[in-house]
Amino acid sequence: MPFVILGILLSIAVQEWVPDTWIVRILPRNPFARRAVISFLGVFLPVCECGNVPLARGLMVKGFTVSESMTFLLAAPIINPITIATTHAAFGWDGWILVARIVGGFVIANLIGWLFSLQHDQDALLTRRFSAECAMPHPHQHGGARVHRSLELFIRETSVIMPALFIGSVVAGAIQVLVPRSVLVTLGSNPLWSILAMLLLAFVISVCSNVDAFFILPFASTFMPGSIVTFLVFGPIIDIKMLALLRTTFTTRVLVQLTVVVGLLSALIGLVVNYVA
Amino acid sequence: MSPRLSGVVLALTVVVATLWLAATNQLILYIHPRYVVFTVIMAVLALAVAVASFATHPDDHDEPAPRGWRRILSFSALALTLVIAVGLVVVPPATLTSATVSSRDLNSTGAGAEVQSIDEAASGDDASFARFTVRDWASLLGQTSDPAFYASKPVDVTGFITSAGDDDIFYVSRFVITCCAVDAQPVGVPVYLPNWSDEHEVDDWVHLTGEFTSNPSSGSAEPLAVVPATVERIGTPDEPYLF
Repeated sequence: MPFVILGILLSIAVQEWVPDTWIVRILPRNPFARRAVISFLGVFLPVCECGNVPLARGLMVKGFTVSESMTFLLAAPIINPITIATTHAAFGWDGWILVARIVGGFVIANLIGWLFSLQHDQDALLTRRFSAECAMPHPHQHGGARVHRSLELFIRETSVIMPALFIGSVVAGAIQVLVPRSVLVTLGSNPLWSILAMLLLAFVISVCSNVDAFFILPFASTFMPGSIVTFLVFGPIIDIKMLALLRTTFTTRVLVQLTVVVGLLSALIGLVVNYVA
Repeated sequence: MSPRLSGVVLALTVVVATLWLAATNQLILYIHPRYVVFTVIMAVLALAVAVASFATHPDDHDEPAPRGWRRILSFSALALTLVIAVGLVVVPPATLTSATVSSRDLNSTGAGAEVQSIDEAASGDDASFARFTVRDWASLLGQTSDPAFYASKPVDVTGFITSAGDDDIFYVSRFVITCCAVDAQPVGVPVYLPNWSDEHEVDDWVHLTGEFTSNPSSGSAEPLAVVPATVERIGTPDEPYLF
């Protein structure tokens, strides 16, 4: 909850209090370089993935393309100082896990950004409601008008984000109780099944990227390193709670495509690590 | 109430419950103490903005009222959150129990790994051992099961009872939390007390003293166990988790 509040407040700050030209000016014009730089925004905004959703919405309203905001959404939970520090504290440099997580997160975020940039009509990736919000004019306002507008944004963002957060959390919690963890652990020693089990575990558990390394550490003795990497790369991007939050902004079709591609890429990275490590 | 304000009501409900938990020192049943200040600051900020939103109630003529699935989702979440928030206030917050231990691996590698080094423990005195928690002993047990290492090292720990599936052995356990209750990992130390269930129940909190010996129970795979000198039943501590 505190990270979501922080994300909403940052989103309001970006939309209403940061000059329009400021963000645009510091980013490269080349789309590949631009997305690469956006991948590192999480270093300055270390909000957990839930908080990144309202922030990404704010960035889109401010002028980011959908593919750029997607790159931010996917990279920021992994490439940020807190996640890197906790992953290092949990695994150190063992088994290429930390390196594979950072590099894997960067590669997936940029690949996804590039893939969705191929969509000519970027608005078609968004829900109709959010697309309409992005299209609304944002006149320059000062003083009381700007405060008024910020409060308006707070009402709008909480009405979208908070219900999704609660429904997503309750569903994730219910599934955690109903699906025995032992079922997943029995799959852990097989190179392929262990990766699939970790994808499923990450999807169900919905734990924040800031601490997921500690959460998965106990499984390190049972599961292969590649499957741990799969969990650490896939989990911050796709899980039940995040899908509920992302649905406030993106169409179902986009979320299905996103889940499938990220799942396949995470599994591929895990297989490579299993082979190399 | 305007449907537009449902999100603010949700935020406000959770914020008030959070601040109440913080004021009564019960927030640490859900999150690590290091996040309490950050959580309270965010809750106060959200409270201020939410109250201002109610007070000014800015109009948004471009904003249609939610319809269809969004309306259902919004009201479901509002009802759900109100139930949870009322539950948080009405039902006393409870700690995680042995039911959670059974779904997570006790003494898995992460939670208690090497919080104590064998070298330092080998030269420790009684005063330092008195400060050892279940996590410290579980860490040492994970590194060596040589009975000679534990000779003359007094055990003085607090934890709740978890079944070891043996009439004569139970675990005195604690949860270790890194961020919040979601990542809680159980650690435990085996205790040899014949027919322990005659006097104690699973989830009872106990303070026990004793020393490690080779496990006398043939029904347990644990190489060592604490043979208790005293086992005193206590209430749930103010800080039930280890951090």
